[in-house]
Amino acid sequence: MKLFTRIILALTMITLLAACGAEEKKEEAKAPAILKLGSMSPLTGPYAADGNDIANGARTAIAIIKAEGGIPGYSDIEIFAEDTACDPKQAVASANKLINSEVKAVVGAYCSSSTIPASETLDEAGIPMLTPASTNEKVTERGLPYMFRICGRDDDQSKVAVKFMTDYLKGKTIYLVDDKTTYSQGLADNVEKLAAEKGIQVLGHEHVNQGDKDFSAVLTKVKAANADVFYMSLQNSASGALMLIQAKRSGIKAAIVAQDAVYHPQLIDIAKEAAEGVYLTFGYIDKEKPVYKQFVGKYAELGYGEPGAYSGYAFDAAYMVLTAIKKAGSTAPDAIKKELMAMNWDGASKSYKFMPNGDSGSNYIIRTVKTGEFANYWDPETGSLY
Amino acid sequence: MEYFLQQMINGLTLGGVYALIALGYTMVYGIIQLINFAHGEFFAAGGYMGVILLSFLSFHGYMDTHPWWCLTASLVLSMSYCALLAMAVEKIAYLPLRHASRLSVLLSALGMSIFLQNGLMLTQGVYDKPYPTSFTHGGFVLGNVLQISYMQIMIVGITALLLVGLNRLVFKTRIGTAMRATAQDKVMSALVGINSSRIISITFALGAGLAAAAGIMVGLYYGSVRYDMGFVPGIKAFAAAVLGGIGNITGAMVGGFIIGMVEIMAAGYISSEYKDVFAFIILIAVLYFMPTGIMGENVDDTRV
Repeated sequence: MKLFTRIILALTMITLLAACGAEEKKEEAKAPAILKLGSMSPLTGPYAADGNDIANGARTAIAIIKAEGGIPGYSDIEIFAEDTACDPKQAVASANKLINSEVKAVVGAYCSSSTIPASETLDEAGIPMLTPASTNEKVTERGLPYMFRICGRDDDQSKVAVKFMTDYLKGKTIYLVDDKTTYSQGLADNVEKLAAEKGIQVLGHEHVNQGDKDFSAVLTKVKAANADVFYMSLQNSASGALMLIQAKRSGIKAAIVAQDAVYHPQLIDIAKEAAEGVYLTFGYIDKEKPVYKQFVGKYAELGYGEPGAYSGYAFDAAYMVLTAIKKAGSTAPDAIKKELMAMNWDGASKSYKFMPNGDSGSNYIIRTVKTGEFANYWDPETGSLY
Repeated sequence: MEYFLQQMINGLTLGGVYALIALGYTMVYGIIQLINFAHGEFFAAGGYMGVILLSFLSFHGYMDTHPWWCLTASLVLSMSYCALLAMAVEKIAYLPLRHASRLSVLLSALGMSIFLQNGLMLTQGVYDKPYPTSFTHGGFVLGNVLQISYMQIMIVGITALLLVGLNRLVFKTRIGTAMRATAQDKVMSALVGINSSRIISITFALGAGLAAAAGIMVGLYYGSVRYDMGFVPGIKAFAAAVLGGIGNITGAMVGGFIIGMVEIMAAGYISSEYKDVFAFIILIAVLYFMPTGIMGENVDDTRV
């Protein structure tokens, strides 16, 4: 009999404990909730500069929304910044980590080769992803319902680059070099194809390894080919700077055309006068816009300094998705998507209107480096100089 | 032909850098049979010391008035700094393990490499540090393609100077004789009055000094340094040392130039993608037919 009483007693206690646990959980849910936003970008490694710019851009948007009263129903907005290191495997791990942290939306990632696998993982959990920097076409062409792109697309970017080469530079021949990433090679392949269609003779297309420092051999090839245009498609602004220095030193006379990935203050810091006169395709930014000024002001106030190439896109991404959550009054992915699709948003970097596939349009122009600063150069719409 | 000559010059420049780093590997191996995996970090530390000194000097305007003096001073100072660093590393990480198995010392070297690289990352940051490169552009234009930049002349010149200096030191001075004696037989040389632990220290210092010189020249030539810059050239230089015959000073020089030249020629005539592949194919091929390297591993006279 005693044994039986004990068993009953033990069972009662277990039930009670379980009930307690359940009650505690309920209370947790009742406590003022925190809205969790994820950020994915390379915070370490060769792309750390751009990666930190992205996380800081998202932080700036949160700071402004919080200062304006936050989002009803939530006591706070918190950012979970994950490091992808521009590595597909680590990107998937970061995505899983963010899913476990129960984030409601993700701003990121940087490298297209990270964004593509990470977005598949996030899609399974139904978490919207807004990439501020991945320009490869495939990002939005896999039919993922919650994939949005804030920046432009590589096919648009290559069109502008080739238009510039034919209409303004009047180039007859081209030599291309890329460093074999999804982004850089995709872009170089596009440019090669388009250039050939437009009647520019392709003299060569070389690949270098990521992280190479010595480009003297390949640049000698470029010089010997004596092309009118040298298209330099690299993933990393520091490598871009090294290539510009060596190109100048080896006496390459071709017009150098680069693109948005090497668009970073670091390019000018390292290459110095060797960066002068290089052309880059990059989104048009209206620096006189009030929202751009507000963003730059807050960014500096938070101690992040001068915004990098992708800070503005990350800022817009975070601002838009938080506004969508606010308007929808829900964090259900379909509700967020509905609000995002309905938006006509005038952001810090450009104006946004999402298309059914999640793209938001491109606004590439040609910029150049002039007396140590990036400056607007050529408008592909009108074909005239700024 | 012009194209070939230009690639030759490019290869010579890169090879010079590899040769300078390879010497450190080979000298240390010659004297205590240790592959000093931390050696690439001395190269990086030298590069960083150079950028710190040169930035300081250019900030105060000395760079504009006396560029060559500034360069010489930074070169000497960072070589001395790395020499001291290497001696400290030897005392901390290798001396206590002098009588342990060779595997323990090797692990200690790997640990030291990770420690130094992360130390550099934490103190100097993860970003590329730009060199003040204002005086490194320009050169002699010899044809449509052929062009020798001042930087290339400087690298090859300084490398040649250091190599000749080292050769004289090892083969013509008392210290050099003591080094060669210690390398041949530590016990015997100690019996005739050579302080072997001092000689080992000096060997480490010499190797690291040469690596530091390579670090500064790479910084000047390419325009920037990064905390992990020592890894890849370290591996290549190690391959160069093995190719030439590890432990053999002349072999390391020859090996360095061969690896640099093969890399550039592979990039110039085949494809940049495969340049590393070709560098290592040459290594494997040479080791297959000459297991002790081109100049041989155990030639007592030339071995340190």
